[in-house]
Amino acid sequence: MARHWKIAIAILAVFALAGGFTFPALLRNVLRLRRAGVTEEQARREITEQPISTPSDAPGKAQLFWASATSAGALEATEVNLPLSADPTLRAKQLIAALIARAPSSAQRTLPAEAELLQLYVLANGTAVADFSEALPTQVPSGILSEQLVVDSIAHTLGANIPAISRLKILIHGQEAETLAGHLDLSGFFPVGAPDAADAATPSAASGPQPVAGAPPSASGITPQPAPTSPR
Amino acid sequence: MVVDPAHGGSDAGARGAAGVLESDVVLNFARVLRLALEAQGVRVLLTREGNQDPSFDDRSMLINGLRGAIFISLHVASTGPVGTVRAYWYGGVTGDLPEAPATTGARAAAGRPAAATRAGLILWNRAQESHREASRRLADLTQIQLAQKFRGSPEVPEPAPVRQLRTIAGPAIAVEVSSVAVSDPGQLQQMARPLADSITRAVTDFAAAGVAPSRTN
Repeated sequence: MARHWKIAIAILAVFALAGGFTFPALLRNVLRLRRAGVTEEQARREITEQPISTPSDAPGKAQLFWASATSAGALEATEVNLPLSADPTLRAKQLIAALIARAPSSAQRTLPAEAELLQLYVLANGTAVADFSEALPTQVPSGILSEQLVVDSIAHTLGANIPAISRLKILIHGQEAETLAGHLDLSGFFPVGAPDAADAATPSAASGPQPVAGAPPSASGITPQPAPTSPR
Repeated sequence: MVVDPAHGGSDAGARGAAGVLESDVVLNFARVLRLALEAQGVRVLLTREGNQDPSFDDRSMLINGLRGAIFISLHVASTGPVGTVRAYWYGGVTGDLPEAPATTGARAAAGRPAAATRAGLILWNRAQESHREASRRLADLTQIQLAQKFRGSPEVPEPAPVRQLRTIAGPAIAVEVSSVAVSDPGQLQQMARPLADSITRAVTDFAAAGVAPSRTN
């Protein structure tokens, strides 16, 4: 057999061997994405985007708030293993990225899969300014209830994991928007705080991220906010 | 009293798979509510009579020029358990609301609300601020009625920063019905009458408690 044929066969054998090793993992990923009912955009993001990684990252458990699987219109705290930065700004980015990318199911999703956190700043007074892409207002279901769930899901997640953040301002593509999707006023600041244990929903039996134990949610499942303070 | 069928025109609001448009449903709700309120002697204005889309401020202007009027904004949600209804009053935000020129009228300096300027004028963008407590009471009364008529509805209202309510200088609430996801649009039509009865009863109770809406002579 000619030498060039031997080289070609050897190269093909190496590729076949590599394919044999990677194919099962690829197949598992495809099946997992299909089960989760993710959109094309989310699937693309999982493949192409690198997770936010910082030198101070340490594995930890974060409380993320998605829609309850058992109580419509309520939020449910779920404990998720995440690499978490010591820096509040980077940690907030990691948490919001996880809120978008790691929703347990499409029914429990609060932020649209297409939504993207463009930038986030944490100011010295404890204000987190989160700038989202246009997909947030255009893809979130229109309505007071659904828009409130979006804001509460972000505010509760930040409040439960970053004590340094006390309030949240949402921008859309760098601009102050009048409403989120036609109802919720984005001109002001949303209070951020760790929700009471009583507001964490009952643990579900869903696989994947482990829910946090707690009492059933309030009537609406939305944490009662303190009375608004007088404007300064 | 001003009843606000939300959305309209090119803004259809929430859309259901069965072809339900929020803007159409709330207009029907508003018409039925107007009849129920007028039967109790309450004068009612709608922020739109057809498929128009007045701005938030245009809708606010309709009530801010009246004395003693109350405002109810009607919505249909995209989500939530079908057949339930929630009332909201303006809340859930903290400090630093935007400022804007004063336009809504004079107030005595004594007891001037935080949203009032030194001249006693009320800041348009904070017009709701001094009416939050009254709005909360109206929402409480409304939610009590809704919980009785619509099984599964919460028993207490929630604060939510609904944009339309922020510029209303008077008691103001939003009422949201779930949802456009009904399989049969007739389900929402059947809710119109009990919804109107609930709100009318709440408005009557609210008036009896001391804040009466304008009545016809």
